[in-house]
Amino acid sequence: MKTRSFLSFVAPSVVLMLGLMAVPLLLTFYLSTRHCAPEMEMVTVRQSGPFGTQETVTQQVRKGPDGQPLQSCRFVGLEYYQKVLGLDRGAVLQDSGKAGESSSSGAAEVSSAAGKPAAVANEFWSALRFTLLYIALTTPLVLGLGFALALGASVLTQRLKAVFITASLLPFIITPVVGALSIKWLFRDDGLVSVLLAQFGGQVHWMAQAWSAQLLVILYGVWHVVPFAFIVLYAGLQSVPQDALEAATIDGASRWQKLRYVTVPHLMPLIVFVTLIHVMDAYRVFEPVLVLTQGAFTTSVQYLTYHVLLVENNPYKASAAAVLTVLGIGLLLVPLLRRTWREQRGQV
Amino acid sequence: MKNLTSMHSLISRLRPKGRDRALAWGLVSALAAAAPQALAACPDIKGQGEVSFIGNSFPAVSHVARQVEACARPGLKVTFKLTPQAREETERAFAAGRSPFSGATVSMGEFVKFQSLGQLQPLTDLVDKYRARYKLEDGMLIRVNGQVMAVAFIQNAQNLFYRKDLFDKHGLKVPTTYAEMLQAAATLKAKEPGLEYPIAQTFAKGWDGATEFANLLAGFGGRFFKPGTAQPAFNDEAGVKAIELMRQMTRFMTPNYLASNSDDVMNQFQQGRAAMGVLWASRAARMDDPAASKVVGKMAFAAAPATTPGGKTASHLWWDAVVMPRNTSADRDLAFQLLMEGLDEEAVKTGNDTAIWIRSVYKPTRFGTGVAAAAKAGAPIWPSEPFFSLAHAEVGKVLPEALTGTLSPKAALDAAAQAYLKVAAEKGFVK
Repeated sequence: MKTRSFLSFVAPSVVLMLGLMAVPLLLTFYLSTRHCAPEMEMVTVRQSGPFGTQETVTQQVRKGPDGQPLQSCRFVGLEYYQKVLGLDRGAVLQDSGKAGESSSSGAAEVSSAAGKPAAVANEFWSALRFTLLYIALTTPLVLGLGFALALGASVLTQRLKAVFITASLLPFIITPVVGALSIKWLFRDDGLVSVLLAQFGGQVHWMAQAWSAQLLVILYGVWHVVPFAFIVLYAGLQSVPQDALEAATIDGASRWQKLRYVTVPHLMPLIVFVTLIHVMDAYRVFEPVLVLTQGAFTTSVQYLTYHVLLVENNPYKASAAAVLTVLGIGLLLVPLLRRTWREQRGQV
Repeated sequence: MKNLTSMHSLISRLRPKGRDRALAWGLVSALAAAAPQALAACPDIKGQGEVSFIGNSFPAVSHVARQVEACARPGLKVTFKLTPQAREETERAFAAGRSPFSGATVSMGEFVKFQSLGQLQPLTDLVDKYRARYKLEDGMLIRVNGQVMAVAFIQNAQNLFYRKDLFDKHGLKVPTTYAEMLQAAATLKAKEPGLEYPIAQTFAKGWDGATEFANLLAGFGGRFFKPGTAQPAFNDEAGVKAIELMRQMTRFMTPNYLASNSDDVMNQFQQGRAAMGVLWASRAARMDDPAASKVVGKMAFAAAPATTPGGKTASHLWWDAVVMPRNTSADRDLAFQLLMEGLDEEAVKTGNDTAIWIRSVYKPTRFGTGVAAAAKAGAPIWPSEPFFSLAHAEVGKVLPEALTGTLSPKAALDAAAQAYLKVAAEKGFVK
């Protein structure tokens, strides 16, 4: 193929990928190295309303000659990455002499007033720990259950198949927040599952301790994603070569051996594909964390980014967290991508 | 009316005689009878164009939104977006180059932020111009250094919900301090075997739990900040006491308290699983909703208990108001009039039971008794420092550790204070 026609064929997708993926990512990276803050000054404000008048000392943004609020921006390099990763604590305390430079004098004051700095694990690492646990536990379950469902569906009669497939796909179709809410309502104090368990003497307060809260989020993750694995693997099962299976039968292979040595190897590319997609998705687990536990015992990496962006209202730090998320996914995918790469080269 | 006349003449020309004519007349007069109401929804508003507003989707604001949207007519498009994410969206809109919304309903906490960032426009001239037409009352006007920056319409507070039937049955008196509340809870736990968890409060991680902490901290005479600075002071003795009190309460609450937000607590009351607790007054009317509640008519409301005998009620007063951003290019006069249509006396009368309105035409219901009692008992106003929400968020994060005992109250609060200083420095509040 001529270079020219090759380029014109790939150009649309290259342009789209640059525009929709590379450019936003670069912009996010750019944002994460900057910092803007309004210029605040102390003022005394006299405020009155339905509950009377009160005078408070508070802060207000400084305004320029044109009446516009002033804000100052600067380049902060990788400072926010350090902050997200919790690598800045020592630096902040040592830095306390340089007032006005960044954050420090106040923090030093508190920690000296408070004695020793409190022993709270850095949020990012605890979020990462749960996120990895979530991936490690959901991935095999999603694959296993999805495969079992696919095998089950392929032996059903045609009419039952339609019903079965539709029903199994439901959790995947439901909006994540709605799905998480319905799971929450099943497991809260008055929920169906809690009441049923209590009937059999097994009362569990699901949101009361770490193991059960984490289990609930993982359960939701499995419930929500199994249909995806199911439908992909079911499609794969339709293309398993019948002659190979027959040959295996003639050679005296058991049902299990046929599964192990014919079906699974045939499905391997699809299993890798499902794993790839699920690991990417699972690293960004967010809705169940927000809805089921509001982050108690279960902060995920993505939940942390959301918190920084909307509660701390800091888009710059949130950008750093977002870039770290992309890097995290990249790292996790390295083994899988290498495998795919090798296969592709092997085929060529 | 011009349309109607031409329609009438058109119809009479088409069908000049007999039965058809009578029918046509009937049709026209029926239209004419219905039309004036539709046309006269907001007869005083003259402007043309397109105006958008945004607000949080709870009953009172939805009511206001419907009144405002009713002013739409050919040539005047009015939209009022209601969403539970209103806070986040409004923050983005008001900070942008040009806000897509010409006005918003905001709670007190949000107002303070917008005001400190200089994102709101003064409404003094508009209030003066339209004060008579909309009968604006002084109590509704939020003035900052003399300038009107917002028009408040409802008030809210967390107050005590309690099961009057159970309290009467066991001869318990309404608790005025948390110590009495714990005692009453112990009595009920012993004597009402069906009632597993006598107390229900919003101890959920994050905003809810931190708000409870703020109430109790104020009750113990503590402050979030050292006076006149942005330096934290909530990690002192009063803060520790507040958390210790919360810990004591958890003994009488569902073990799921770390996931109990306002919805969950409301649900526990409605299902008769909890007998008392401090909750938002805006949830009170839902106790008598027969479709969702098993305790219709059994709940009563009082001021939130104090933390110390003879102390002030440990709660805060809130208001909700409408504001207009600086960065809007819409006709501000028109936008203001539309907003006022949603807050006028008529709107309050038709939505009387949805909230505790500030206007004097509001007829108090039994659901508002708790707020009235809170105001009378001297509840302070919700803190108005623009950096307050940052400290509040950090407390909300460490609360689970403090309540479950993974960290001591002091260690947890110190950690929150340290984390707060970092984010406050990032936002330029602390040098």
